[in-house]
Amino acid sequence: MRPLARQELPTKAVFYSKDTSVSHKIMASASEDVETTRGDGGESPNTKDDEKKEESLLECNICLDTAKDAVVSLCGHLFCWPCLHQWLETRPNHQVCPVCKAAISKEKVVPLYGRGSTKQEDPRDKVPPRPAGQRTEPEPGNNFSGFGFGDSGFHMSFGIGAFPFGFFTSTFNIGEPRPNVGPHGSPQYMEEQFLSKVFLWLALLFIAWLLYA
Amino acid sequence: MANIAAQRIKREFKEVIRSEEVAKCAIKVELVDNNYTELKGEIAGPPDTPYEGGNFVLEIKVPETYPFNPPKVRFITKIWHPNISSVTGAICLDILKDQWAAAMTLRTVLLSLQALLAAAEPDDPQDAVVARQYKENLEMFKLTARHWTNAYAGGPSVNPECDDKIKRLVDMGIEEHQARVALSSYNWDLERATEQLFS
Repeated sequence: MRPLARQELPTKAVFYSKDTSVSHKIMASASEDVETTRGDGGESPNTKDDEKKEESLLECNICLDTAKDAVVSLCGHLFCWPCLHQWLETRPNHQVCPVCKAAISKEKVVPLYGRGSTKQEDPRDKVPPRPAGQRTEPEPGNNFSGFGFGDSGFHMSFGIGAFPFGFFTSTFNIGEPRPNVGPHGSPQYMEEQFLSKVFLWLALLFIAWLLYA
Repeated sequence: MANIAAQRIKREFKEVIRSEEVAKCAIKVELVDNNYTELKGEIAGPPDTPYEGGNFVLEIKVPETYPFNPPKVRFITKIWHPNISSVTGAICLDILKDQWAAAMTLRTVLLSLQALLAAAEPDDPQDAVVARQYKENLEMFKLTARHWTNAYAGGPSVNPECDDKIKRLVDMGIEEHQARVALSSYNWDLERATEQLFS
């Protein structure tokens, strides 16, 4: 064990500093020091220091603990999802990154899935739900088979006749398979729901217009 | 407060305690109670300012919603500064209000306050009297701030002229601090200060 005196320090912190920026390096070295006091002395101090330095890189910028349900902002700052969610809820009209004050939002946050870290359960079932990863389908390859057969993702539509009827057919998606819907609850899904409602109303208005005109 | 706030403050302690940056500007944090809701901060006056050599004590109250909301900080040591109330010690600093961010810590708050002492913002004042003096008569402001640093924060710079004027008012039965405030507010014009005190 290292000197006991150090463990009493939490009641009285005295520190001196020259720079005014929060340096990750400084935070890392501080925490690594504290951690080594807890160590059982079984390992050489250097290995321990290196390990702790690595660990502090994965600390949430809000609770300062190892990030749970980790998410990363587009500006690259790491948080626990529950911590960041609470921060965003605190100031719904002024959502900025807690570290660099870049504009952020729930939609623009990327979850991190480590190999061993995620259990089988869906993290989104937790409260608050963590935003889904944004996954875009890769571009389809050149080897499509035929026109409109199978699920190759190749769609053709022919506009025949005057404008209203072309509009009509496309409104009702006649003869066309619908594209895959986004996963439930994702921003894409919400958007699609919204758009389909808008077009439904447009179609109804159009029919009404046709009847009365 | 067995929640994130207490956990955070504990961690902040651990992290800042062992900062081995032993250097010019001293900062200090102490616990006032054992459940991490109230702390005492201390900052040294930055060099090349009227606050040089002084030690300023701060009251830090940690809200239950910390770190999502800023800590409540005010000066306990009396100080003459445009952005700090000479009466209550209330601080006008954006990061303690709407510009607070959850990744800020006690350490960054104290360093920011130290920076505020070195760079006042007279256009966004907390104490209108001080701010007006700062803008209209900078030398008089510096003299006054130095005098207050000496009187309340243990600063080294003694100004016999100020002390003499205060003593004359004290001899007339005015309380020392009240006399100092009156003289400071009237650019150390003894006549006007007296007038104001007895009107």
